[in-house]
Amino acid sequence: MKHFWSFLFFLVPVLGVATFVFAPHFNIWLPRDISEQGRTIDSLFMFILYLTGAVFIVTESVLFYFVWKYDGKSNEQPVLFSHGSHALELVWTIIPAVTLLFIAIYQMQAWAAIKMDPPPISYTCEVTGRQFNWDFRYPGPDNELYTLDDIVRTDGKLYLPVNEEILLKITSGDVLHSFFLPNLRVKQDVVPGMAQKMWFKGKKTGGYDIVCAELCGWGHYKMKGRVFFLPRNEYDAKLAEFSAEQNTMRVEVPEEE
Amino acid sequence: MSTVTADTHAAQGEHAHTSSFLKTYVFSLDHKIIGLQFLFSTLIWFSVGGLLAMGIRWQLAYPWRPMPLLGNLLAANEGGQIAPENYTMLVTMHATVMIFFVIIPILAGAFGNFLIPLMIGADDMAVPVLNMLSYWFMWPAFFLIGSSFFVEGGAAQGGWTSYPPLSVIQQAAPGSLEGQTLWLLGVTFVGISSMMGSINYMTTIIQMRAPGMTMFRLPMTIWGMFITALLQAFALPVLTAAGFMQLSDRMFGTGFFLPEGAMANNSPMETGGGQPLLWQHLFWFYSHPAVYIMTLPAMGIVSDILSTFARKPLFGYKPMVYSICGIAGLGFIVWGHHMFVSGMNPMLGMTFMVSTMMIALPSAIKTFNWLGTLWGGKIQFTTPMLFAISFVSMFIIGGLSGIFMAATPVDIFIHDTYYIVAHFHYVLFCSTTMAVFGGIYYWFPKMFGRMMNDSWGKVHFTLTFVLMNCVFYPMHILGMQGFPRRLADPYHYETFRNLLPLNQFMSWAAFLLMASQIIFIINFFGSMFFGPRAGRNPWKANGLEWQAPSPPGHGNFDFQPIIYRGPYEYGSPETDEDYYPQTQPPKEKPMTNDQ
Amino acid sequence: MSTFKNNNEFGSRLMNHGLRTICLVSSLVALNLAGCDFHAPQFHLNMVQMLSDATPTPKPYQEQIADVLDGMFGTPDEPFALPETGLDIRKLKMSAGPAWTDKKGAAFGLYRQHCVHCHGIDGDGQGPTALFLNPYPRDYRQGVYKFKSTYNPAKPTDEDLQRVLINGIPGSAMPSFSLLASAEIESLVEYVKYLSFRGQMETALTNYVYNDLGEEEITDEIGEPVLDDEGEPVTKLIPLDPENDEEQRTAITEMLAEIVEGWNEANEQIIVPEEDAIPTDVENLKALAASAAKGRELFYGTRANCMKCHGPTGLGDGQQDDFDIWNKAHKQFLDSVADGSGEPQLATEREEVAASLYPIRNAIPRNLRNGIYRGGNRRIDLFWRIYAGIAGSPMPGSGPASPGAQGTLTEEEMWNIVDYVLSLPYEDASRPQRALPINTELVN
Repeated sequence: MKHFWSFLFFLVPVLGVATFVFAPHFNIWLPRDISEQGRTIDSLFMFILYLTGAVFIVTESVLFYFVWKYDGKSNEQPVLFSHGSHALELVWTIIPAVTLLFIAIYQMQAWAAIKMDPPPISYTCEVTGRQFNWDFRYPGPDNELYTLDDIVRTDGKLYLPVNEEILLKITSGDVLHSFFLPNLRVKQDVVPGMAQKMWFKGKKTGGYDIVCAELCGWGHYKMKGRVFFLPRNEYDAKLAEFSAEQNTMRVEVPEEE
Repeated sequence: MSTVTADTHAAQGEHAHTSSFLKTYVFSLDHKIIGLQFLFSTLIWFSVGGLLAMGIRWQLAYPWRPMPLLGNLLAANEGGQIAPENYTMLVTMHATVMIFFVIIPILAGAFGNFLIPLMIGADDMAVPVLNMLSYWFMWPAFFLIGSSFFVEGGAAQGGWTSYPPLSVIQQAAPGSLEGQTLWLLGVTFVGISSMMGSINYMTTIIQMRAPGMTMFRLPMTIWGMFITALLQAFALPVLTAAGFMQLSDRMFGTGFFLPEGAMANNSPMETGGGQPLLWQHLFWFYSHPAVYIMTLPAMGIVSDILSTFARKPLFGYKPMVYSICGIAGLGFIVWGHHMFVSGMNPMLGMTFMVSTMMIALPSAIKTFNWLGTLWGGKIQFTTPMLFAISFVSMFIIGGLSGIFMAATPVDIFIHDTYYIVAHFHYVLFCSTTMAVFGGIYYWFPKMFGRMMNDSWGKVHFTLTFVLMNCVFYPMHILGMQGFPRRLADPYHYETFRNLLPLNQFMSWAAFLLMASQIIFIINFFGSMFFGPRAGRNPWKANGLEWQAPSPPGHGNFDFQPIIYRGPYEYGSPETDEDYYPQTQPPKEKPMTNDQ
Repeated sequence: MSTFKNNNEFGSRLMNHGLRTICLVSSLVALNLAGCDFHAPQFHLNMVQMLSDATPTPKPYQEQIADVLDGMFGTPDEPFALPETGLDIRKLKMSAGPAWTDKKGAAFGLYRQHCVHCHGIDGDGQGPTALFLNPYPRDYRQGVYKFKSTYNPAKPTDEDLQRVLINGIPGSAMPSFSLLASAEIESLVEYVKYLSFRGQMETALTNYVYNDLGEEEITDEIGEPVLDDEGEPVTKLIPLDPENDEEQRTAITEMLAEIVEGWNEANEQIIVPEEDAIPTDVENLKALAASAAKGRELFYGTRANCMKCHGPTGLGDGQQDDFDIWNKAHKQFLDSVADGSGEPQLATEREEVAASLYPIRNAIPRNLRNGIYRGGNRRIDLFWRIYAGIAGSPMPGSGPASPGAQGTLTEEEMWNIVDYVLSLPYEDASRPQRALPINTELVN
């Protein structure tokens, strides 16, 4: 084939775009978003995706065009003896610079909201990462952590009220972990010796994955958890149930078969 | 390996010194032999790193299934399935080997050593003994890290970033027993070697240029090497210091990186009061510039190849040089973008976001200039040219995906997912390694005096190009779904369950990619002995190195090179040929302007 | 932007199917190329037990015991359970064998997916990862489990094992598996029991061989002992061959029945707290504080004497030089190998086994100020720990050792200690210990 190589390079933008176009049809895309800041993050992501996508298509197509047009075998024109163009350099310096700065400044508000201004509420729960489990400590009825009525759960299931601002305290019992909720677009490394805050609002009930996103040892993949968003009344009932369970003092002996 | 080069050189016979074989080919002071020593060593490690990657891909495609071939070596469980700590060892050592033993030494060590004196018209490096030592200091590193696979607990398992406390507390991970100590020592030796090299490169480039070779007549490869050497000289001491701090935390009971009450695996540490984040700052203060150490020489190589085979001057030589310098300068103030979600003060995140966005600019300028170089040329599709064009094509992807990570809110989501993995594989494998392959095909005639087979080179290129995209491109959409890296078995998460078939596809592409490198190995060694003889300048290139004999003898040039112009005067109207070597005196007036 | 994530059934099916087929075909090719260099894993004998001073077992017997066990329990890939064990073979099959997932997404080989790298293919707690864990993973083969609701010597109930799987063992490397489907957890519990049955059977067989079989003098047709050249009677080992030996078969059936009986009666051995001793108002802080004060007296007193091990501050810094039974068995074995005592013909084998053992670890009493309790943090969990002790560990029970026996503490006192232990994490560590002077000699 005459222009085999140029068409090979043309496959890059074609298949590159096709991958992103068809990925949602194969159910591979940003995971279902159930949070507030997730919308901001997703729209920023899509904004950058479209922007870089456009640049990608244009540059790769230009590359293809040049490789196709200026193929030494078919191009009869003499070589363009040029060492560059000052004007062009200025154009392709200033335009990307402005665009990039715009992206940077455009994001700052979102960043501040997600990481810099915690809501003025008391902790909903303390999350402790340890090799290899997520432990949860709810403040219990007195709404204060580290008291006798705290509820400690080690089964990797975190229950939170839906549609309410939630403030988590995340700590580590040993090494670095990272508390990652894909469906809420939040992630925070857990550093031993540092208590970190994390806040979000879940807008849909249901169970979602908790992922450890920082290598924490051989059992990194075992640090699975689920976060469940419940309506307030169910949440209260759940906590009451946990509290009662923690105070269990009787045992039901199974019936003889 | 040295025996191989010995034969070709013996055949050359020009510079048969009376000195022994050992002195000529093993403890050689000749920059070309040292360059080839680096080349062979790194290619061997390249295959080791590749095999480790195959282990990772197997586990991701068939979690907990018995692993073929590597199974007996790596899978500690009975029945040949991998033990989870060995998976973390695989990811750690794949990155370590590829970064410290392959990409950095192949660019700086192999190409830098071989090309710098040849391209600037020097007879050797400024300090040949230092140069030899820089190679031989790699061997303790090879030995330490190679042997760490066989100590109790296996090789390091804290990731190539080696974040404490996991890497410091010996009981925290099996690989943090002896493996981590060996890792730290090994990396220190790599650092010493790089430091020796970088001092040598800077001195050589500044002091030993041939008459007429001004800084702005240097080929881009040399600019890349020069700035790389600067980066290494300034960044490496930080890594070395940090490495020793970690070593002393591990062995002498200090607590630089251990917080108060640090404990893991029910083994409380007696020291504390340090800061785990300190390591991350120090590490990335080196390792972000290191990213450019792994890219700038490749960019230089690609610039040279593109110009040669487009038969056209490099578009915007000076902007290219300035953008390399810009990358180097900005490269020191962007390290924090690796730490957006680390718990670092979020205010710093904003600063680092702006500087990171800005560092995309010089890369963009370079890309546009490469495209400008192709514009209006007469492109010859030789194997090195195909690799160079694919570098540009892939670097666009790798560069653009970086913008996502620079955007802090987006990074919260994609940090430590396969989006990052896709990004750095596009930069380091699909770009840099392509440039390395291109460079090998391009300078092979100069190295061994014979041509590599072009048809098999094209087969190798096509397979590599197609397959690597099959492996790495889907990682972007995996990352979009939040697929985390370094996870031995992600499919137990509901969110990632549906990604198994895609991972199997990627794994098979990876296995075939690995297999297709056999073509390269055969071509490489076959051509070394049976390739057609190359003259001095088989590509009709301008560069000074092409005026030397192939392979150049001791002292490189059989004439005193005098430089009249830059290396990219292809298709110049001043001459009838379509190329215009740097040493060819101009017809009318000598010493024209800088261009 | 989540609208992009629509369900395209056809698309994903096409992709799954196409890719799967390609991958399957090529993996078959690759496997053939690789020459299938792995073998189906096999169960191993408990060599520490086989070569111990108490029951030294010669090589032929080791092989025969392995054969009998294979016959009764199958292999890790093909487990088998006699109907009298009561084990559900379908549940076992879900957990046994190599890890894979069927077309519908049902997982098989659960044990190898989740457990084997720590607990080992035999359930001996010596998988490849185990060496690096502190504490070591549980060895199932003796059927002794720490965190259970039953009397100290009794077996755990299925629910106890399930609870451990669901909550994990905080403070150890055992994570929670609560996200597995309940059928998967049940299957794993069944498999763990199966490994215990097998291990206990092995122990029983070893003892049986040592006690009831052994060397026998060879006799000729008329019943006279055959003598060798030196005039000593020639001996041979009586083979362990239940297939052809009615008597052995009956004995083995009885042994198995005994083991199964122990597990089946676990439900009858559950410790049920006396109704009238249960504190009524745990919500009342004042009552709680009073009870905790009583518990504190007991904690530092000589009768309960918790302080001896858990230390004057409750940090677990008291006596730390004891071992749990698993480490103790290994220690005894290592000591006897070091002595050079025991059967001389087994000496080399003993040394090999000794070299393969993991380092001995002391049993470290729990730090009670963490507020993390390995066996669960419900009141009843703590009560059971105090009542029955922790089987296999040096922690003694304060209650009766079996139904109807006499304990050292009353149940009311145990609840007091529960209250005190629960309040320990919130107590000021520097609070002066009034009882300290009396007990210092016990600490040292």
